[in-house]
Amino acid sequence: MNRHALITEKKGAGPEKSDQKAPPSPAPSPSAPITTLDSGLARIYTHLHPLLVLSLFFFRFQATVEDPVTTLTNGLAPLGILQIIYVVLCLPATGSSTPSSAAKPTPKPSRGKKTQAGKGDGGVAGRTVPAMLSHLLTTLLATPLLTIILILFGAPVTSKLWETLLCAAHMSALAIMPLVYVHGVDEGRWWEVASLMSPVDEVFGAAIGTMVGAWAGAVPIPLDWDREWQKWPVTIVTGAYMGWAVGKLLGGTLLRGKRIDLG
Amino acid sequence: MATLVIANLLIPAAVLTFAAGFFPYKPFLPGLAEHDVSERGEMPPAQFDKVILMVVDALRSDFVFGKSSGFKFTQSLIANGAALPFTAHATSPTVTMPRVKAITTGSIPSFLDVILNFAESDTTSTLAYQDTWLAQIKAKGGNLVMHGDDTWLKLFPETFYRADGTTSFFVSDFTEVDNNVTRHVPDELRANDWNALIMHYLGLDHIGHKAGPLSPNMIPKQQEMDGIVQQIFEAIENDPHLQSTLLVLCGDHGMTDGGNHGGSAPGETSPALVFISPKFKSISTGLDSPVEPHQDFDFYTKVEQSDIVPTIAGLLGLPVSLNNLGVFISELLPLWKNERHHVLLLLNNVWQMHTLVKTAFPHEAYEHPYSQLDCSDPSSSGMKLVCKWRRITDIIRVSDGREPAPPVILPALIDFCKSAQEIMSSTASNYNMAYLLSGIALAFLSVALTTTSARSIIFRLNAASLYFGLVLVLYGILMFASSYVEEEHHFWYWTTCGWIALLCLQTLLGSYIKREGISKTIFKAAALLLFHRLVRAWNQTGQKHSGEPDFVTSFLLPNPHTVWILVGVTYFMLSLSLGSHLCRHIPPTYHVLTHIAAAGIAIPAFIFKLSFTARDAPEIVRPVVGESGMRVLEGLSLVLIARAVFLLCALGTVWVISLEVWGRSPAKRNAPRGVELFDALHAILSIFLITQTRAHNVPLFLLFSLQFLCLRDALGLQSTQTQITISTLLFAHTSFFALGNTNAISSIDLSNAYNGVAGYDVGVVGLLVFLSNWSGPVWWAWGGICLLASQGALFGYLALQTLFIAGSLLAIMVACTALRTHLFIWTVFSPKYLYAMAWSLGWHLLVCCYGLGAIWWAMGVS
Repeated sequence: MNRHALITEKKGAGPEKSDQKAPPSPAPSPSAPITTLDSGLARIYTHLHPLLVLSLFFFRFQATVEDPVTTLTNGLAPLGILQIIYVVLCLPATGSSTPSSAAKPTPKPSRGKKTQAGKGDGGVAGRTVPAMLSHLLTTLLATPLLTIILILFGAPVTSKLWETLLCAAHMSALAIMPLVYVHGVDEGRWWEVASLMSPVDEVFGAAIGTMVGAWAGAVPIPLDWDREWQKWPVTIVTGAYMGWAVGKLLGGTLLRGKRIDLG
Repeated sequence: MATLVIANLLIPAAVLTFAAGFFPYKPFLPGLAEHDVSERGEMPPAQFDKVILMVVDALRSDFVFGKSSGFKFTQSLIANGAALPFTAHATSPTVTMPRVKAITTGSIPSFLDVILNFAESDTTSTLAYQDTWLAQIKAKGGNLVMHGDDTWLKLFPETFYRADGTTSFFVSDFTEVDNNVTRHVPDELRANDWNALIMHYLGLDHIGHKAGPLSPNMIPKQQEMDGIVQQIFEAIENDPHLQSTLLVLCGDHGMTDGGNHGGSAPGETSPALVFISPKFKSISTGLDSPVEPHQDFDFYTKVEQSDIVPTIAGLLGLPVSLNNLGVFISELLPLWKNERHHVLLLLNNVWQMHTLVKTAFPHEAYEHPYSQLDCSDPSSSGMKLVCKWRRITDIIRVSDGREPAPPVILPALIDFCKSAQEIMSSTASNYNMAYLLSGIALAFLSVALTTTSARSIIFRLNAASLYFGLVLVLYGILMFASSYVEEEHHFWYWTTCGWIALLCLQTLLGSYIKREGISKTIFKAAALLLFHRLVRAWNQTGQKHSGEPDFVTSFLLPNPHTVWILVGVTYFMLSLSLGSHLCRHIPPTYHVLTHIAAAGIAIPAFIFKLSFTARDAPEIVRPVVGESGMRVLEGLSLVLIARAVFLLCALGTVWVISLEVWGRSPAKRNAPRGVELFDALHAILSIFLITQTRAHNVPLFLLFSLQFLCLRDALGLQSTQTQITISTLLFAHTSFFALGNTNAISSIDLSNAYNGVAGYDVGVVGLLVFLSNWSGPVWWAWGGICLLASQGALFGYLALQTLFIAGSLLAIMVACTALRTHLFIWTVFSPKYLYAMAWSLGWHLLVCCYGLGAIWWAMGVS
């Protein structure tokens, strides 16, 4: 079997694999990708948002290089607010529009489907509270977890712990918070996300992009360019932001609805 | 398959062809220089009739000249003019043998000498047939005496009238190596039968290796060396027969702030050089001492190390050695009151160098001093030298047979010498491009053959093979970045992290579909990552941050009990593992005996480790065993125990294999020969490999074993050959750097090279050097074989690994060729090429292909 891409059409790998292995329980039926809310504002802001976040980051880049701890700490609140605005304006909150397991996957997401997603979510005000709760939950739970992962991946232990912690906080605000907002605490959905079974959408794509970007961000550190920005954790955070933006863009457009196949 | 075999056979061909072009064997002029009086006039009179060369290994300039130096007496001599101080620039590679060559022949040793430094008995490296100032003294009927580092005895076999060599065996030995030299000093100073006395002290270098230049032992050692200078100086002042004796105190190289050497950092290339004699008071009123350096480690006038050779030759009235690239140190010229002699001294120097220049850059103007020559804008380095030569001949020509005035001709002579030294020292012109390109072509052919024969595996576009491609391509690119060659460990640590995450995700997917074992998978991946994190924290490696605290220096060494508990646990686990594997074929009644037999291999190995470490690093053994224990351990014969351990390992291997072949119960006889055989052999191999490992690194093998178990579990039964190959490659490279190795020559660890070896045998010592430095990769190579043994198919593994080895070789060769004029070619890229040779020939062809052969054999038997 010769697969030609890492990412295959949704109908491809997932079910196929389960067919081969003949699992004891029926294979978990895949969920549908998250669709953005069907409002004009949502459609515009979802593309405006990465620009805002990235310009905020690059505007403060020099300050981040000079004093990572202070700048990253100060940057957390604006990033949190922007992310809350983004999920409130653009994404369906958990429970409001969870595509049921029975919902048939849509190979080519059509805009018409989005009306369903927009329904019954209690409006902007109703989504603000879940968004803020998601942010709180993410900051409290995902940040320590990501810090541990960063250390396991090679972050310094005996020094620069604050830098690592702040790096993890930015990564969780970028990657995990929207996931928590759309998936809530549904264990099944989270296992789906963790095992990359989830179909790609802009939230999931952004999360993967953040992780891969942060990992790739380590590459320039050992080079002998002797630039100030090569210091920990500037390149990691930069990689995470850029990976996030790329992942979000690709996940929301080109790769939307596809599935990651690591076979 | 046949194509793959050819691809593998092309690897050594490519490696050796490229090496032949890259490390050219420097031709040297044979014979001894003679002074032809009829052609070149009289010889300037000798100023001294005896010379004492006192080499203090790793004597960095600031150790003698700096403010916190222990050389107070020497500094007083500098202040009153009896000593002339210099900083002698030593070129890379800054290891002892090439430096001794530079000090005696005056030539700039080629990089090949580094390899020969490790294969010292190789006759091509002896200087017995080269022109040195030692040979010149001998030719004049003088006698030579040598005490100290036996490198000299290997370089100059049957040259010395009297000698007492000391081996640099245990770097923990700070005193014996030096007392061995010092005890001869009074006798030698009384004796009147020598013309050159060479002393080579090793203790200071050992202190550097052990604890760095700031070690508390450093100042007392410097004071000890200073005391010997004083002893000799007073003898020269008082003893009539030593009246006209020159004392030269010098270092062969310096050291970094971490105490190592081999590279070209300022600390390593700046040894001290002092000429000492009461006669110098007549030409010097003394210099300030101690002083601050102008920059880094530059004290006083900076000269080249090779300048020692023509200077000693001039002072002793000897012809300048044929292959010398040194220039007479002009600060010493005033010793000759007659200025004519200054000209004669430098003319000898110029004449000798011009012979060398002529061979390297032939030009008709050397034979025809009146020919037409356009020197308005000399473009090539050869032309520059011709023009400087012409300037000298022109000055001689216009003086019309009379001797030219010294102030006129001296600058021209010095100018020619210095330029010739500079141009001839840079070896850029010596590459044999045809060989380099053929090497590259062969490597490319190997890559191409591997790719075609294994295209079905390589071009299967799944996550694992894409990751393999990513690793190979990135690695190839990194070979062009000097900083990444120096910090290569980061690459392997980083890719291994990514790979563990990818494996975890792949397994998670399977677990999720089956709805079981999800948390187990995550737990195993976390454990793998945690062990990986510990492994990489163990030893600080690379160049940029070398010497910074790591797990070993900040935690293990201060807690010797922890070291030995961990080492003990490692040996215990290995013994247990070996015992359990053996028990499978043995009736339960004998299981206890079997475990005792397994312990019979591990316990002697443990005792060897203790006894070896008692000498190599006594500070971590003494607190554990006490003084009486130390006496017992020091009393044991290391060679005998090492041989016993090696023999027991061999016997164990035979036992395991014969049990497997003949000891199977009839029912199982037809069952496939599973992984158990390879696991049992892995346990024995581990015992052997940790015998070749420093004590503080032994627990790393415990971590490797834990990683291996997690990995085997995580890969599960459905692992593909691609996954196994990538895992083996990544973990093998990670372990190499985690054990403290780098891509620099200075980090090669020779401490375990002589285990069980009484004499000197290039083959055995070379093999032990390889196995002790590559112990981690060899361990993981066999680990890969164990993983593969359950697979039954070897093709994919061999194909991918050949592709990686050939591909990385190709990248390194292209990098070395493209960057051959790069500033770091000798310090970064050439050592990397040597390491790549060891990886491809030693690790890949010898170890991995041997393991594959073993599986193939085992499958054939069953």
